[in-house]
Amino acid sequence: MAALSEEVLLVVKRVRQRKQDGTLYLMAERIAWGPEGKDRFTVSHLYADIRCQKISPDGKAKIQLQLVLHTGESTNLHFSNESTALKDRDAAKDLLQQLLPKFKKRANKELEEKNRMLQEDPVLFQLYKDLVVCQVISAEEFWANRLSINNVDHSLSNNKQEVGISAAFLADIRPQTDGCNGLRYNLTSDIIESIFRTYPAVKQKYGENVPHNMTEKEFWTRFFQSHYFHRDRINTGLQDIFSECAKQDEKGLKSMVFQGVKNPMVDLLSLEDKSLDEGYGSNSTAPSTSNTNKTVKENSNSAIIKRFNHHSTMVLAAGSGKKADAPNGQACETSSTDGNSRDSDFFQPPIKKVKIQDVIEYEDLHRENGKKTVALNLKKSDRYSHGPVPLLPQQYTTSQDIVNSVNCIKQEIASYKPCLTQVMSSSTASCAIAALSPGGVLMQALAQQAINQMVPNDVQGELKHLYTAAGELLRHFWSCFPVNTLFLEEKVVKMRSNLERFQMTKLRPFQEKVQRQYLSTNLTGHLEDMFQMAYNKFHAWQTRRMMRKT
Amino acid sequence: MKLNIEGLLVYFPYDYIYPEQYSYMLELKRTLDAKGHGVLEMPSGTGKTISLLSLIVAYQREYPLEVTKLIYCSRTVPEIEKVVEELRKLMEFYSKETGEKNNILALALSSRKNLCVHPEILHANIIVYSYHYLLDPKIADLVSKELSKKSVVVFDEAHNIDNVCIDSMSVNITRRTLDRSQANVETLQNTILKIKETDAAKLKEEYRRLVEGLKEANVARETDIYMSNPVLPDEILQEAVPGSIRTAEHFVGFMKRFLEYLKARLRIHHVVQESAPQFLKDIFEKVCIDRKPLRFCAERLRSLLRTLEIADIADFSAITLISNFATLVSTYSKGFTIIIEPFEDRTPTIANPVLHFSCMDPSIAIKPVFERFQSVIITSGTLSPLDIYPRILDFRPVTVASFTMTLARTCLCPLVVGRGNDQVAMTSKFETREDFAVIRNYGNLLLEMSAIVPDGIVAFFTSYTYMENIVASWYEQGILENVQRNKLIFIETPDAAETSMALEKYQEACENGRGAILLSVARGKVSEGIDFVHHFGRAVIMFGVPYVYTQSRILKARLEYLRDQFQIRENDFLTFDAMRHAAQCVGRAIRGKTDYGLMIFADKRYARADKRGKLPRWIQEHLTDGSLNLTIDETVQLSKHFLRQMEDQLGLSLLTLEQLQSEDMLQKIAQIAHQA
Repeated sequence: MAALSEEVLLVVKRVRQRKQDGTLYLMAERIAWGPEGKDRFTVSHLYADIRCQKISPDGKAKIQLQLVLHTGESTNLHFSNESTALKDRDAAKDLLQQLLPKFKKRANKELEEKNRMLQEDPVLFQLYKDLVVCQVISAEEFWANRLSINNVDHSLSNNKQEVGISAAFLADIRPQTDGCNGLRYNLTSDIIESIFRTYPAVKQKYGENVPHNMTEKEFWTRFFQSHYFHRDRINTGLQDIFSECAKQDEKGLKSMVFQGVKNPMVDLLSLEDKSLDEGYGSNSTAPSTSNTNKTVKENSNSAIIKRFNHHSTMVLAAGSGKKADAPNGQACETSSTDGNSRDSDFFQPPIKKVKIQDVIEYEDLHRENGKKTVALNLKKSDRYSHGPVPLLPQQYTTSQDIVNSVNCIKQEIASYKPCLTQVMSSSTASCAIAALSPGGVLMQALAQQAINQMVPNDVQGELKHLYTAAGELLRHFWSCFPVNTLFLEEKVVKMRSNLERFQMTKLRPFQEKVQRQYLSTNLTGHLEDMFQMAYNKFHAWQTRRMMRKT
Repeated sequence: MKLNIEGLLVYFPYDYIYPEQYSYMLELKRTLDAKGHGVLEMPSGTGKTISLLSLIVAYQREYPLEVTKLIYCSRTVPEIEKVVEELRKLMEFYSKETGEKNNILALALSSRKNLCVHPEILHANIIVYSYHYLLDPKIADLVSKELSKKSVVVFDEAHNIDNVCIDSMSVNITRRTLDRSQANVETLQNTILKIKETDAAKLKEEYRRLVEGLKEANVARETDIYMSNPVLPDEILQEAVPGSIRTAEHFVGFMKRFLEYLKARLRIHHVVQESAPQFLKDIFEKVCIDRKPLRFCAERLRSLLRTLEIADIADFSAITLISNFATLVSTYSKGFTIIIEPFEDRTPTIANPVLHFSCMDPSIAIKPVFERFQSVIITSGTLSPLDIYPRILDFRPVTVASFTMTLARTCLCPLVVGRGNDQVAMTSKFETREDFAVIRNYGNLLLEMSAIVPDGIVAFFTSYTYMENIVASWYEQGILENVQRNKLIFIETPDAAETSMALEKYQEACENGRGAILLSVARGKVSEGIDFVHHFGRAVIMFGVPYVYTQSRILKARLEYLRDQFQIRENDFLTFDAMRHAAQCVGRAIRGKTDYGLMIFADKRYARADKRGKLPRWIQEHLTDGSLNLTIDETVQLSKHFLRQMEDQLGLSLLTLEQLQSEDMLQKIAQIAHQA
């Protein structure tokens, strides 16, 4: 049943499989083989399922190709066209060689993902053991609606995380003397990549000059010779192609400085409530910053410092994947809005306020308010605690009644005014509370209390596993309704048999075990109810279907 | 929680309290009861501000007639904003607990742009602003002089308060100042001429007022309405403005003469240093300017500017400066020195004459504050040694106390590194600081630390030039390259905007896990105003002892003055000054009990008792004999051990309300507090 739209990449005729002649097709996503004269494939493997291919050694009489699947099964293909067998096989092999890695990654990722999920979630792992390993349902069914949940972050993880840059990549170039008056620089593609990412200006130069004006080697030689690379020098040489880079760096740095900082707590410019006027103060003669007063050495020293700041900033920016210098237009825009907001001096930007509140907070002086839990939002809580309840003629309080009465009590408590003349003494009150608490004198009639003491821990654990497994199966079952597609029809039938199988292989032995231990309580009653409910539903559905058919 | 501090109900907006906060409030309460001044040291991050605010606000509510106002002065804008935020928190707690609407008016002044809030200041219960509003006579006269006597003044982060005082009273005059003053005088002259034609009555009225003298001000001062102003000396209040400067034209002519004299004085080729009386004598001999009119200069100019209805006083800043100088130099015969330098020491070929009129006595500026307000609290995380502040500020405190940080786990680890692994002494001492081995050892220390300390490291150098030189030679030796393998490097520059950006990137690198090193300068902006909480500073390295540049003439004069007037030896003061800056630097990393960090003092001189003894008590306590004079290797081992210990959190050192009510516990707290 080859879909028409499928693209066929390669067709090889006269390929034998299980001693049957046929044709091998390599499609975009799968490899398939069909016997001679029939229009369907008896063998079809998705590339993703194939772990590897093996070929028979040269010189062997039979020219074969073996596909080994992840499941461990394998398929042998025998190329039997005498004249071109070798060529055919190699063509198929080469194509597979190209295709498999592509799918392998995807497959591996899926496998990894599944593996990770199982490892991280012990409950899921138990479920997997109960259902898949015991072959109640197939692995595919098990994962069918689990992986889809994860597809979202799956796609996220698809764009792969960029590797950051080592701040010391320039140090790794460490020049070595080659023994004859020369220097050797170690340059790897990683380092080049780092240089390009940290110094876009160099990349631009590279693009402009290589290979039209100079070879790659020449480019890097010049780079290492340039004053640009040696950060302590001041740029003077005009013919140095990198002097422009330095200027660009300078410009970038300036625009970043001009943009100012986002975090008001580190803004040194607004730190001081500057109130000494010019001319006052004991050392107001600021160190002159003009270059004329500085020696060459001082100039080069401050150049080094600037370069270090710039280098670190660029490395940081390259690592976080952001462009360090935003376009200038944006900068202007933000600065103009800043100017507007300055009118209201009392208005503090929210970010600042949050930061300040953060700083003044003494966490440890607060009483801990316990861990925050997520509240379960239930519309009908009786469904949750009892499961679907059969409509039996009996006295039954609906959830609405309970909710109403709880609300009533709440209201009464809210408006409760203690009559201080008639209060109990504190000891009497705590006695009463103790008596009304679980385990207290007045609360002993409660049966639930007893169960977890009567039943040994291992049985309890087992019961828990049974519940999760059964819950999972039932979830699969109930998710089929309403049954409106052929697929769901198949699934619901399958799920029913799965349920039966589970009951036979898991629930029964457990019941027997419980009986052997002479535990009087009916532990599995509720489970069986749930199963019965499912069977009833299935039955109802089936009869209705039969009726419709007839 | 609600506390009982010796009978005073204090609302404290947290569920628990640190023992030292309790002790702090106790001492504070006693100071207020005694209506005296106090010096209180408590490490940052132990909730000094909230303790202060809680107690004083409670005191104000309980005794509204005793304490009418709280004036809270802090240093930087972020500090002020923090105080405001804490105050807001306290107020919220009050209204939550008492249910009544908060009836306390608090006011924060954060910039001189907002100076027109004058009437509100008088009504506010709490004022938060920068030191200058109280200490700088030029601003204090505008903002603070009418504040009630029954106010409590708090100087937070006060470890540098002497320098603020000195700055606010010192004047520097350059050729540019004189040129601009000249222009000012000409504008004044023209304005006077114009006014004379149109509105001569106005000038006459002013003249009449000046004959009457400054009676008004005098009455105000005597009846205690105003805080006194050091630029408005008592004597001149009783006298009329001297005739020689009473008319506007005469005064302008007088100023012209004075300017000419100053110009002549700046035309020199060698350094001149003289006292105020010497200066007055010289000016009388050369241009016949008497002391008396000089003293009225500042007041006379103010009156003139008012009369001429000049709106933008900022344009006349130069002439105002000159007139202030004239008044100060003729008022104070002691406490100031005049130094005229023809050029900068570094550039002897470029003429750039400056007249420094330098205040050497911080008590002059702060004296009115101590005299006027009933309680002044000087507080900071680093005020050691505590006795020196009362001496240099010339006041008698009723309480002096240092509180340590009670810790369930030792979250700070001070280490003194004295030697490299090659046993060469590590020091920034002048004679050896350029020594190759010292620089290399410093580099190795940084390198080793960068390998073992997580996230952020901040390193401080003694001066900017020193840092530049070291960075350059570390670069040449390839040390920085190796450091870069472990962390990104950011460096403070003289440019504030550039440094701000470097700081932000530094924090970003600490935040995203790369880790970074910030190389910075003691006494710089970073060391004074930026906190490195938690992972932003897991270690601080102080390279060398940050002595002030001792070759400056102004400093020398100040040291002499301190020796003669206060019997403080030069070395004692220099060491005190260096150590308070070192303590500020290393204290930047510990901003609370949940924080932790290494404090590495990289200079063998820190091991000496005279240095060590001047560190705040809360650091000294953790400096054992085992952590002195270490080699780099030993430092690394100890640091590793410390960091491993810190990985597993946390004990608590808190008190509950119940504990505070138990007699035993109170005794214990008192014991801890008085170990000092």
